[in-house]
Amino acid sequence: MKMESRTRLQTWLPLIVLVVLVLLVGLYDRTFFSAGNMLEVTADTMTLFLMASGVTLVIMIGGIDLSVQAVASMTSCILAVYLPRFGIFAIPLAVIGGVIAGFAGGYVSTRLRIPSFIATLAVSGVVLSAGNWFSETKSVVIPGELSQTYLTWAVGDFLGVPNEIWVGVAFLLVLSAVLGLTPFGRLVRGIGAQERAVMASGIDVDRIKIAAYTLSGTMAGVAGIVMAARLGSGSPTLANEFLLPAIACIVVGGTAITGGVGSIWRTFVGALIVQVVRIGMTFIGVSVFAQQIVFGFILVAAVAVTMDRAKVLVIK
Amino acid sequence: MTTPVLEIRNVSKSFPGVKALDDVSFAINKGEVVGLIGENGAGKSTLLKVLNGIYQPDQGSIFVDGHPVTITSPRHAFDSGIAMVFQEQSVLPTLTVAENIFLGREEEFLRFGLLSKKRMNAAATKELAKVHLSVNPAMRCGDLSFADRQMVEIAKALSLDTRIKGHVTILLDEPTSVLEKREADLLFSIVRDLKSRASFVFISHRLEEVLEISDRVYVLRDGKSVKELESRDATVKDLHQLMVGRQLHHEYYREARQAVPSATTVLEVQSLTKSGSFSNISFALHEGEVLGIAGVIGSGREDLARCLAGHTPFDSGSLKVKGEQVHFSAAYDATAKGVGLVPAERKVEGLVAPFTVAENMTLAALPKFVSGFRIRFADENAVARQWIERLSIKTPSTATMVGSLSGGNQQKVVLAKWRIAGVNILILDHPTRGIDVGAKEDVYELIRDMTAEGLAVILLGDTLEEVIGLSNRVLVMRDGEVTATFEAAPGNKPAQVDLVSHMV
Repeated sequence: MKMESRTRLQTWLPLIVLVVLVLLVGLYDRTFFSAGNMLEVTADTMTLFLMASGVTLVIMIGGIDLSVQAVASMTSCILAVYLPRFGIFAIPLAVIGGVIAGFAGGYVSTRLRIPSFIATLAVSGVVLSAGNWFSETKSVVIPGELSQTYLTWAVGDFLGVPNEIWVGVAFLLVLSAVLGLTPFGRLVRGIGAQERAVMASGIDVDRIKIAAYTLSGTMAGVAGIVMAARLGSGSPTLANEFLLPAIACIVVGGTAITGGVGSIWRTFVGALIVQVVRIGMTFIGVSVFAQQIVFGFILVAAVAVTMDRAKVLVIK
Repeated sequence: MTTPVLEIRNVSKSFPGVKALDDVSFAINKGEVVGLIGENGAGKSTLLKVLNGIYQPDQGSIFVDGHPVTITSPRHAFDSGIAMVFQEQSVLPTLTVAENIFLGREEEFLRFGLLSKKRMNAAATKELAKVHLSVNPAMRCGDLSFADRQMVEIAKALSLDTRIKGHVTILLDEPTSVLEKREADLLFSIVRDLKSRASFVFISHRLEEVLEISDRVYVLRDGKSVKELESRDATVKDLHQLMVGRQLHHEYYREARQAVPSATTVLEVQSLTKSGSFSNISFALHEGEVLGIAGVIGSGREDLARCLAGHTPFDSGSLKVKGEQVHFSAAYDATAKGVGLVPAERKVEGLVAPFTVAENMTLAALPKFVSGFRIRFADENAVARQWIERLSIKTPSTATMVGSLSGGNQQKVVLAKWRIAGVNILILDHPTRGIDVGAKEDVYELIRDMTAEGLAVILLGDTLEEVIGLSNRVLVMRDGEVTATFEAAPGNKPAQVDLVSHMV
């Protein structure tokens, strides 16, 4: 039963890696184990998770969404610029920005039959400009009293737990239910595994794909809002350097980059792994430059273990 | 006694839960053509993969020219004089014919480190002459017809004999399954020509062909070699019996159960045309009818079937389902009108291999199993269990990955999918391709069940015999046009030769 044990290993490995990493860092510095620190680390991870959660769906259908960091930056600008003018309505407005960007990527990719990395890269460019336009290329500060009125759901605490975690866990549960219980979730898996068979079974595959991209844009939008709330400002470069870690945490969590296999909780675990590695190395005092080396090794190792490379003979 | 060129002794190979090969011995002599037959799952593919170095046997040994060898990879097999022609083509469509033939052997054509295309093409022309294929070796393989690509594949395998000093053995895995009779005959004459230079192992589900071409036949059943017999002493019926281990059903195509179609027209096709594929096709399909379409490759029948199922568009003409004018822009339009297609490429278009049996069965009818946003898993499983029982699908459970089932059981899952979707018109494109005799009979039985319930079936059969045996009516196509229509009432079936005269 070699195959079964391999599958089991693939399922649990990300979680085991996370626990081992946490123990390693904690052994080095006991303060890491403090409840306060644990909660803070988790809260810090949530924006990354939110952004990666939607991309997980796109990767599962066998595509990629490269526009998410630009989308998050743009929605942070929309929020910061319009919060003084529209109050609470700035939040749905910002989310809609994400929805439109995600939809555009999906529409262009499926209807015009353009590879998703090109379509979403193009959208990324448009969205970057949109962010600059909304913010007039500046960082826009969210006044403290407005943040107090409208954004405590993202940055306050509830029952001693930072609200970022509540938001993250809420989306984890909702998206997991979407993936596990709905026809949409099943078709996402099916399209990633064997698109032509799904198509031949009379499914409007393009619709499902566009929905996945739209969800990805939406989640990037939500991530941008939470980011702006945490930092107290919106900026057209706010989420720069988030794209690679986002994709890394999906892959480290064990979602197959080739599509068909994956889940949202894996991305959640993956995001925590990425964060613990980062923070842990800072704790231990590894130089920022050396951190990238370690990170590269972990990424490759994760893909190597989680992907059944025996079945994928050709890598492009 | 002469030493066999290739011999395996007492080879066993197990996979989790299955003994794929159980103490199999097998030998092939110089210049011999040996047939290898057995139902799906009997161990043929495993045996080939052992010979080709893809699998290592658990026990037993392999001998080439009497010397024990361990074959570690397909490349190693090739260097040891064993070449394989795959059932699923392995020619690369973007490379030229010559580049395909000499793939991995480019060093033979290097001049100062650069590849001499001229020399390579010249050498390829020689190889192509062996298979009587007169195409330009500089042509891209993707521009060739399917049958020609098959020939290129065979030429590639045969090119081994110019390279290896010893005798070569060529493994032909179902080489004729996609060839029409004429092309298959050509292949056989080539095999006979080459017997002086090579030995062949020939695997096919078409038993007549196996008897025609082979000197000896090995019959595998459940991983064991149950019989070795001389072709001249055997009949197709003998082989059938040895393969299934039981008496062949005396009424193979269930003609007695052939339904009398009702007068109700479910599908009306008028002057349907798709340029480059078929033109001016008109026919009516009735409730309970099996309408066969016969034709060689290039007759346009496969394209016609795909158009009727909405997979590809047509240029002009009209399509009416139950009297209603329809326009299919994609497969989902066709399924919405109750038209389903059981595709020839089962693993690509028929099934999602990593999905479970239940998930595949409900794929075309998913909305039926949804309340609110949620899939009703219990209902889904219950329906899947019903169909597993009804179609006697051999699967450990509804949660088994469909990819791990045998071809015949997979095909039954595809059929169950369309039955659950409740289609009225089912287009069967080679429904018995690559499935074993026992499963074929089950599929025939299922076709009769469906028509008894009023479904209408369009059948593109694997063999002419199958089309005639199962259909109420047969349309014969040639070069994209219908050249004849035959009534095929039970007991009054047209002869194959009559159809063939309109096909070619």
